[in-house]
Amino acid sequence: MPERIYHMFETAAGEGHGSLATILFIGFLFGAIIQWARVDKFEKIAGFAMLEDMTVPKMLFFAIGLASIGLYFMIEAGYAHYHIKPVMLGGLVTGAILFGIAMAIFGKCPGTGPVSIAEGRIDVLVGAIGGIFGGLFFTVAYPWIKPLMGPDYGKITLANTFEGYESLIVLVYGILLVAVAFMLPDKEYLDPEDNEKKASV
Amino acid sequence: MPKKISWLAGGILMALLILFAFSIVGADRPIGASTYVPYFAALLFDLDPQKYEYAAEIERAGAWEGVMLLGAFFGALFMSLFVTKTFRFSILPSLWKERKNSSAISRLLWSFIAGFVMIVGARLAGGCTSGHFLSGASQIAVSGLIFGGVTMATLIITGRLFYNRKGD
Repeated sequence: MPERIYHMFETAAGEGHGSLATILFIGFLFGAIIQWARVDKFEKIAGFAMLEDMTVPKMLFFAIGLASIGLYFMIEAGYAHYHIKPVMLGGLVTGAILFGIAMAIFGKCPGTGPVSIAEGRIDVLVGAIGGIFGGLFFTVAYPWIKPLMGPDYGKITLANTFEGYESLIVLVYGILLVAVAFMLPDKEYLDPEDNEKKASV
Repeated sequence: MPKKISWLAGGILMALLILFAFSIVGADRPIGASTYVPYFAALLFDLDPQKYEYAAEIERAGAWEGVMLLGAFFGALFMSLFVTKTFRFSILPSLWKERKNSSAISRLLWSFIAGFVMIVGARLAGGCTSGHFLSGASQIAVSGLIFGGVTMATLIITGRLFYNRKGD
């Protein structure tokens, strides 16, 4: 196992997607922002499923709206590239259904899990072990699962289906998401056990 | 430093981080956070990528995300200890006690099952909240929009069916 962990760092460093320091830095900020906004909490994610707390959709919609406009201009200027995932319809829809059910019960997602473990949540550690077994199951069963994941409709975006109007679509989309973020009710479940208060900034 | 930031401040910081990760001075890559789980499974159970097709497919992306999530763990640990001061060992979330039950066994069992189902779902879909939603929807990728829509619908339906009504 130690050699495989070493191999992980070696592979990540040699991938051409940032140095080890850059990758760790991105991860550090990712975890720090999520923990700071408290959106890894069960009360925030499962709370959204129960419509008790709207922090997660507000932050998600706002971040995506802002990033979509910024990213479009960065790509136009040559400072970034598109990395589109294909529409594998069967896998995408089945997977999203399972994911949504699990997210409501677990109150985490794969990115917020490690954040919650870092703040001492034992239940999330147990869920992560469940996740490892899920990953093991998927890897072993992949030859049987793979044929069921299609059909593949390719790497499509909403913008490139309306050629010539890309920048307009991106602007409307981005502004719409930002507007939705502001319009969703500012409802929050303040966790008494965390002595949680509303954020001032 | 404030102990907590709002959805607005968090959203601005997260958008900047997405743009940095995408940029050629950053990683020239979207942020993703579910491929690392089967990658760790292959590492822990010593699955040989030459024998398991999926382990071979995710070798590169899984390694990148494995390192990134290691960073995320320490970023969150730092914040929970020194800034938000929310670090404490716990099993039962407050809202679970309020709307489900007060049994630690029940919470741990459901967490294990949901953790299992979540990773199978994410790998079937080819991404999760980070890859499909944050990164995918930021590129207006149709795959990300379908994932986001279906996930949010089943999330809210499950929230309604799985938990007790308020006040019950």
